[in-house]
Amino acid sequence: MPRRLLGLLLVMPALAVIALLFILPLVMSAVGAFQLNGGWGLGNFAKAFDLYLNDILFSVGIVSLSTALIGFGAIAIGGYLTLGAHPVAVTILRWLYRWPMFIPFIVVGQILRTFLAKNGMMNNTAISLGLMTPIDAMSFLDWRGIVIAFVWKQTPFVALLVAGAMASVNREGIEAAVNLGASRLRVLVEIIVPQVTATLAVGLILSFVTMMSVLSVPLMINAQSPTMLTADIAFRVNAYGDYGVANALGLISLVLASSVAWIYLRISLKERA
Amino acid sequence: MSGSGYLELNGIASRYGATQVLKDINLSIRAGEFVALLGSSGCGKTTLLRTLAGFNAPSSGSVHIGARDITHLPPDKRGMALVFQSYALWPHMTVDENIAYGLKLKGVPRADIAAKVSAMQSLLGLQGLGGRKPQALSGGQRQRVALGRALVIDPEILLLDEPLSNLDARIRLTVRHELRALQQRLGITAIHVTHDREEAMVMADRIVILDAGRIAQQGRPEEVYNRPASPFVAAFMGAENLLKLDGFVVGDRFVLSPGAVHAAGGVPLDGRSLASGAVEARFRPEAARILATLDTATPEDGMTFRGEVLAVTYPGGHWRHVVRTGAHEILADAPRACQPGERVAVHVGADALFLFNLAEPASASSLPASRA
Repeated sequence: MPRRLLGLLLVMPALAVIALLFILPLVMSAVGAFQLNGGWGLGNFAKAFDLYLNDILFSVGIVSLSTALIGFGAIAIGGYLTLGAHPVAVTILRWLYRWPMFIPFIVVGQILRTFLAKNGMMNNTAISLGLMTPIDAMSFLDWRGIVIAFVWKQTPFVALLVAGAMASVNREGIEAAVNLGASRLRVLVEIIVPQVTATLAVGLILSFVTMMSVLSVPLMINAQSPTMLTADIAFRVNAYGDYGVANALGLISLVLASSVAWIYLRISLKERA
Repeated sequence: MSGSGYLELNGIASRYGATQVLKDINLSIRAGEFVALLGSSGCGKTTLLRTLAGFNAPSSGSVHIGARDITHLPPDKRGMALVFQSYALWPHMTVDENIAYGLKLKGVPRADIAAKVSAMQSLLGLQGLGGRKPQALSGGQRQRVALGRALVIDPEILLLDEPLSNLDARIRLTVRHELRALQQRLGITAIHVTHDREEAMVMADRIVILDAGRIAQQGRPEEVYNRPASPFVAAFMGAENLLKLDGFVVGDRFVLSPGAVHAAGGVPLDGRSLASGAVEARFRPEAARILATLDTATPEDGMTFRGEVLAVTYPGGHWRHVVRTGAHEILADAPRACQPGERVAVHVGADALFLFNLAEPASASSLPASRA
């Protein structure tokens, strides 16, 4: 048997899995987005924008805000792990910060649902400490809850990448700045962060795409309007069996995710160049 | 030594966990002096420099600049600038930005920063490179940018942590002289850490040799080279040939007893605190002179060994011979090559023969004759 054919045969199972389980469903659903009763057209998109424009904007807003907060959180954690002067605090943080990564989104949703509700643990604790009265208690189970859940779950992942990159920044470069009189904050902002921007960007982009695809958190925390696109897709399919609009919404999500994935590709191409 | 200098280190000790890295370092450095801290890896020289810079706190002792106690001041309040071994340039900043950063931190007006950065680039020959990133510079240029970044803030003391070790050999020779000339021109006090003996010799006013966290000897380059105070210093300064001899003090001379492979010899005491008994003799290959064995007219001072040439190589400028003398093998240089198997005599003059008592190493300080 020719070697080339043997190589192709070896690769076939993997290719088949990708083609059947990934590419085919993607193409089917992309095609389905343009399929109308008895023809082709942009009707599903028109309906999707008509019904769910607010949710599209809401999703982009929530995920963008969460991405920004995750970025700040990851820089703060990575910065403290790199520059922290208190070894015990650094050790505790290093041990603690990764835990949310191992908790599934649906569990995060459940934890925060009980924590952020009007009569949840957060308000009860504040009331029992005398920080506020029961009448002032309010529920965070809205857009704020989703942002908190996303930030809580995704910050450790980005922090892990960023802290690794920061640890490989030349220590002498940090000391050179300290030697010239830079404060720790300036060292972080002016010396360390500019040297880890590629890693930070990659972490944030992967987080952005992940958050765009999470269904459990908006369903558990924010079962109201406006909500996120994933909840709308589930609703179109489950309540109406309306695969056309669901597919159109899916394609819109894909375009949003792809736009940041394009940035990711540009960064990796630049790194390889 | 302590008490009269500009920069004073008094009883500095430092430890990493249970390991004592520096022990009772006392050093006094004059304003404008170029001091080389010389030692092998792990001797504590970089720790001492980092302690001076404020990156390591000493476990005891104090550091003063003039009357000012700087022992516990943060690195930027000491009036010192450190040039790192890796140069530690910031890769995301241009040459201009790297040099200007210290001035920016001090809140110097932008116009003044530009003027100072430009003047520093002229001084260091970096004109036209201001817009480049460090990755686009050669090793020598990076080294000069690191130097410029340190000097532009006008430090009282310049600390150099093996700044030439990453340069290739040819550039290193040039940069040595450039750095020394620059230090003299600016009149700045400089402390230079290095493990390269020759580098320390050609650059420094004074060499401080460190061994296992202590100062083994300090002095002008010619002093530590010609009058090593201990076997360690002698070996570190290149006197790697080692022979065990016996001798006794007669008046102002130390007479070396004849042995199986050597005739009697002797050296003037001239300040050597040698006691009668076994001694360790050290000398450099280039200090040895190869004579024909039949040549009996050996010089009066020094020592002559008989031996057989085992091998000969040409490292450049002279021939280097491996000579077996008794149970030992020594290296000896000569302007012409002797053949392996040839019987020769190797003579070492009194001024190049470093003797140290074996029994009491602590008191065996020995200085060779009269050349200082």
